[in-house]
Amino acid sequence: MGNVVVWIVWFVAAGACLGSGIAVVSLTNPFYSALALIGNLASLAVLYLLLAAEFLAAAQVLVYAGAVMVMFLFVIAYLGGRADAPWAGGSPILQTAAVVAAVALLVEVVVVLGLAWGDDLKDPAEVSDAFGSPAAIGELFLTDHLLAFEITSIVLLVAAIGGVVLGTTHERVDDVGAGHARPLQRESGERPL
Amino acid sequence: MSGPGVGWYLIVAAALFGIGSLGVMLRRSPLVVLLSLEIMLNGANLALIAFARQHGSLDGQIFALAVMAVAAAEVAIGLGLIVAMARRDMPLDVDQASALRG
Amino acid sequence: MIVGAWICLLAPLGGALAITLLGPWISRRVAGYISTLTTFLAFAGALVAFFGLWSRDADDREHLSTAYTWLAAGDFQVGFEILVDPLSAVMMLVVSGVGGLIVWYSMGYMAGDEEERRFFAYMSLFVFSMLLLVQAGNFLLLLVGWGLVGLASYLLIGFWHRRPEAVAAAKKAFIVNAVGDATFALAIVLLIWSTGTLELLGVFAEVDGLSNTTVNLIALGLLGGAVAKSAQIPLHTWLPDAMEGPTPVSALIHAATMVTAGVYLLVRAHPIFEAAPDIQSLAAILGAVTLLVAGLVALVQWDIKRVIAYSTMSQIGYMFLGAGIGAYGFAIFHLMTHAFFKALLFLAAGVVIHHLNDEQDIRRMGGLKTALPRTHVAFFIGTVALVGLPPFAGFWSKDAIIASALARGDALGWTLFVACLLGVLLTGAYSFRLYFAVFQGKPQEAAAQQAHAHERRGEGPLSMLVPVGVLAVLAAIGGLLSIPGVWHPFTHWVEETGEPLVEATARQDYLVSAISVALGIVGLLLARRAFLRDRQLVTAPTAWRIFEHKFYFDELYDALFHRRAAGLSHALRRRVEEPVIERSLNEIGSGTILASDGLARAQSGLLRTYALAIAVSVSVLIVVFVAVR
Repeated sequence: MGNVVVWIVWFVAAGACLGSGIAVVSLTNPFYSALALIGNLASLAVLYLLLAAEFLAAAQVLVYAGAVMVMFLFVIAYLGGRADAPWAGGSPILQTAAVVAAVALLVEVVVVLGLAWGDDLKDPAEVSDAFGSPAAIGELFLTDHLLAFEITSIVLLVAAIGGVVLGTTHERVDDVGAGHARPLQRESGERPL
Repeated sequence: MSGPGVGWYLIVAAALFGIGSLGVMLRRSPLVVLLSLEIMLNGANLALIAFARQHGSLDGQIFALAVMAVAAAEVAIGLGLIVAMARRDMPLDVDQASALRG
Repeated sequence: MIVGAWICLLAPLGGALAITLLGPWISRRVAGYISTLTTFLAFAGALVAFFGLWSRDADDREHLSTAYTWLAAGDFQVGFEILVDPLSAVMMLVVSGVGGLIVWYSMGYMAGDEEERRFFAYMSLFVFSMLLLVQAGNFLLLLVGWGLVGLASYLLIGFWHRRPEAVAAAKKAFIVNAVGDATFALAIVLLIWSTGTLELLGVFAEVDGLSNTTVNLIALGLLGGAVAKSAQIPLHTWLPDAMEGPTPVSALIHAATMVTAGVYLLVRAHPIFEAAPDIQSLAAILGAVTLLVAGLVALVQWDIKRVIAYSTMSQIGYMFLGAGIGAYGFAIFHLMTHAFFKALLFLAAGVVIHHLNDEQDIRRMGGLKTALPRTHVAFFIGTVALVGLPPFAGFWSKDAIIASALARGDALGWTLFVACLLGVLLTGAYSFRLYFAVFQGKPQEAAAQQAHAHERRGEGPLSMLVPVGVLAVLAAIGGLLSIPGVWHPFTHWVEETGEPLVEATARQDYLVSAISVALGIVGLLLARRAFLRDRQLVTAPTAWRIFEHKFYFDELYDALFHRRAAGLSHALRRRVEEPVIERSLNEIGSGTILASDGLARAQSGLLRTYALAIAVSVSVLIVVFVAVR
């Protein structure tokens, strides 16, 4: 009985995932696209739960859906009408080629999976209940994968600094309202940075 | 409880990746491109976590966590770029930003 | 003694190097001094070598001195070696002595020229090359000297390089000489192949063992080189044109020394020629033909230097004739006396040319005996020596050759004898025609004016007059080194290196002398009569045309060789060079541009295209990876 439930949950989540994905790509209004992406992330979190990755599912919802998408929505709200660009462009050849390439990728992956279906993808390993728990992940992060942990933190630091730099403007006192923001601007005669 | 095998998850991951790449290649709005990029990343994450389950090793999940962190960082920068573009009254159109033309 | 020989060889080289390296830091006069002093130093070395040789016994007079081994390939070796023997000692003395006088003269003649230093560097280079040629102990080194004198000649003929005629003449000299160099080189190859050595003495020892064909081919090759260098028919066309060079160059290279290199070769390599008697006779025949043709052409020339040039060609014909019949000593003797009086004539002509502000046409000269008395005397002495009137030098040397021809006796000997006598008649005629035209009669209008303009200068600076004087003395008494029947120090000295094949009896000597003096005087009188009647010696129009066109040799060679070669190269340029090579290069260039334009289109700058490219390549790569597995 539990098996059926799992399959049903799986189908719903997968369907929502794919559907929202298509929605993200095809909706014109970026706002709606961002909302669709939030749905996508949520359904992915369900799939992660089915795969015994509890911590990741929580992180996904908290970080991705909670922080990143909120940031997205803020920016889209700030941009307002300027966010509307033509849906697509370029020559028809390029568009067809893009579709073909994406489909080809999908087909290839399916083929590969099919080839390995019987052998490598057979029995998933036995896992304990602690698999995917925050304690387990935390322990790995601080022992085996300490380097990845530290480097990731540095990446985040750099991104934060970059974001701040991208956001600053140097408005000259006598030039208020000119709106020509040029961070790292160097006046002639000034010492180089 | 068993459910769909790992293979099914991988198909979903591949489909997500394909959908994301379509968005990157076809849409002209940089915001949507960035969103499509997120979809691709999530597809990869799903694949990683599926394999982690298959092999019973948490390394895949760690990797996925790192990917998530990096994706967040990248989105921050990408949005910063888009905002900067908007501040300079540049058209928010990927096709118009062709300064790399050579 | 050996040291003297080395000093003789290396001093002019040192001079040339010094002038070249010190370049702008020495004045022009100093360059002239360096050149003159090193040449006289070479003469001193030659004297030391000569006296050293003289003081030894007659059978101890062959000395080889090797500086180092230049080439070694298996058993074959060639060294940088000089041979000091009677023949080379005489040649060293003549080259450095007459050379020194002429270089001294050119200090005055070339004074004021912008590029005097270059001139003297080239002159010293030439003296060194000529000395290398005559001192070489093996054929390869001889060829090196041979080539270097050709180079020096080219550089000096074309010295006034802004004159297109001079440049053309220099090229012509070099190219015609290249023909001779080629045959010479082929002969050397044959020598290596058949005898395995290039040392002069070594080769001569082996000559008897060679097959007839081989020796004949070798001798023919050597003769080809000699004919080209000495401007004998058929490779003579370059010599008259070479008069474009400055007069001292004409005196040194094209009268006294370089053109006599062919004679030296014939005498030096006489064992080879004696083993190939047909070729040796061929040399004599070519000499005879040249002496007649040149004599005839000289009768109609208007340029003072060209008359003297053809006279040189003619006299070298005598030397070839002498070497060809085996009268080696007399051939070299005539070489020496000719060096004296021909250089004298050229230098005196140079004084005249200088005095008349570079006028060389004898129709615009005349009556210069009053303006240039000392030059007049010198020129007269030279002319008389050339014609061969006693007691001047040419008499003793030329008549000895003619007597040898008579002494030979066979059909060839008689033909050569008659040719020689005709040559004497022609020599008398053209030389005195020149003398009368330049120095006698009334001064021409233009000449008078120009002469007045230069009277302040007198006849010329000391540096020009003293060498002329010395040469005049030598031309007067130099022949006394060989008086038939009385004493023969010179010829005995030279003949240690090569026994003569013919010896004239005393009666033949006296007979020949009498006839040739008579003929010479007849020539003089003919010239005088024509001059007094203000007519030319050659009046028939056809004859005049043939002589004036130098028997149409230039036209013949032009049609045979030059036009064909030029036509071929033009055709190649039109058919091959331009359409194929040039255009293909252009096509390659424009093709590259097209290709790069096409490739540049891939850099569209559009982000989406790049993404598409990445996606496409990824899908392809996946297929590849899967297939490989």
